[in-house]
Amino acid sequence: MSGLPQVVGRACVILALLVRSAPAQVIPYQRPVDTAPQADSIGGGYKVPAVQKPLPRDYWLQVLDVVALAAAMGISIWLVLKRRSRKWLTALTIASLAYFGFYREGCICPIGSLQNVVVALADPKYSIPMVVTATFVLPLMVALYFGRAFCGGVCALGAVQELVVLKPVQVPRRLDRALGLLKYVYLALAILFAVKPALTRDFLICRFDPFVGFFRRTGAPHMLVLGGAFLVLGMFVGRPYCRYLCPYAGLLAWCTRLARRGVTITPNKELDCGLCAEACPYGAIEKMRAVRRNCLYCARCYSSCPCERGVAP
Amino acid sequence: MRRTLIAGSLVVLCVTILLTDYALAPRQPFATRPAAEQKRVTAARLARKTRDNAVAWALIAAAAAFFTFAQGLVKPPTPRPPGERRQAKAPGPPRSRPAAAAPELDLSFVEQLVSKIGRTKESAIPLLQAIQTHYRYLPDDALRRLCDLTEITPAEIAGTSSFYGRFRRSPVGEHIVRVCHGTACHVSGARQITEELRRYLAIPDGEDTDAARMFTLDEVACLGCCSLAPVLMVDGHTAGKLTPATACDALKVTA
Repeated sequence: MSGLPQVVGRACVILALLVRSAPAQVIPYQRPVDTAPQADSIGGGYKVPAVQKPLPRDYWLQVLDVVALAAAMGISIWLVLKRRSRKWLTALTIASLAYFGFYREGCICPIGSLQNVVVALADPKYSIPMVVTATFVLPLMVALYFGRAFCGGVCALGAVQELVVLKPVQVPRRLDRALGLLKYVYLALAILFAVKPALTRDFLICRFDPFVGFFRRTGAPHMLVLGGAFLVLGMFVGRPYCRYLCPYAGLLAWCTRLARRGVTITPNKELDCGLCAEACPYGAIEKMRAVRRNCLYCARCYSSCPCERGVAP
Repeated sequence: MRRTLIAGSLVVLCVTILLTDYALAPRQPFATRPAAEQKRVTAARLARKTRDNAVAWALIAAAAAFFTFAQGLVKPPTPRPPGERRQAKAPGPPRSRPAAAAPELDLSFVEQLVSKIGRTKESAIPLLQAIQTHYRYLPDDALRRLCDLTEITPAEIAGTSSFYGRFRRSPVGEHIVRVCHGTACHVSGARQITEELRRYLAIPDGEDTDAARMFTLDEVACLGCCSLAPVLMVDGHTAGKLTPATACDALKVTA
């Protein structure tokens, strides 16, 4: 297989990016305080009231989050590729939604960490902890070998959409492709806004995250309404945000091109009856074969397969 | 059904409460008000926040219940064995004809034939060809009668009829489906198409004709139109660029 050198090569690129961002890990920096008026700049004997400063989450708990992320991806791979069990994957999806979504309130997620990593690469004064880097890199590393395991059952944004899929329609192939390009536009915009100078930079992905408001049960009303609209749309179009907007999905899709062990519909084992293509709400089965790039690891193809159910030879 | 409706209306109710709460919230500037009122407004806001949080949790629970129940409603029927499913789904090929119950063969044709062609060993092939043309296969009864009438031994008949690929000993269907298994068709999935047709027509392994004797599946070497691969011929009709999904439709030209 010519794939292995390529996989190693691409892993090297990611590692090189990591090494490049390593100095950013150690630079001591001070957050610019000129964003708010201070006592001396206000004058007139004004005393800035004591501000409540919540302590950061314990370091070992942050590391635990990364471990949980890795473990969830491992379980997702095992459930989909080995067990081929949609039922258990749904259980994992609910668990991930509960932990990464409602308990951790959607932060930190690999999708958003993309911006932190970009800023850390561009701005030597900005440093990110190793936890953020790991959160960003882990799903990409997994995607190099197994495909988008992160998207299935781990990502909280994906999970909330996965659970509302009710009666999905098959989006016409051309429209699907065209809309799929939107996520690259979004990725470019997110990077563009993230690399701007410190005070003008904006984290678009987090600001326009349609579902994080649900996880926190508060948020800008227009974003909550948009999130609700995405969920209602998601009842009939499978995971619209993941397929057409998620910027991180663009990176994952790029990594999956080398994946050797992703979801596979093999010609000799399965029947080529087309039930799986009908069952796939994400248009990830073309000509009876799974497209790693688009496969969201939901295991619907396996659960719809007569072979898996033992009805057909 | 009822549970789904209840959960769905709960979702709508919660959303309505949250939206109304948001719409009714006072939006006058806060800083200009007197201190006592500021305190009251703060308390009101905190109360609203707690209330909204509770409604939000109820909304999440109701939405979870709604999707759980609704997914039970729209769950597709469990796929039955493929052959069965296909028949139920698509109007399949005509199946009205009952399975031919071994009709009494009219063997007088064999007698006429022998008197016309001859009784010697050399006439074996012309005789077999004529029988095959007449009955569309070589019925065992006709071959036995042939042995009785001519000098040809049963061993020679068996040898000749099994040596040449043109002769067939089993009954043939009304329509012959020739699936090309040439190189081009092979690499474009002729195997999958044959398998799909077998399932569609419910032809058991080791046989080539369906129970109703409507279709006989024949794997042939090359039909000579590789640009249409994978290709099959039903009687005189050629269908090309097939997929397992469209192969079954190609049989409908006979209907």
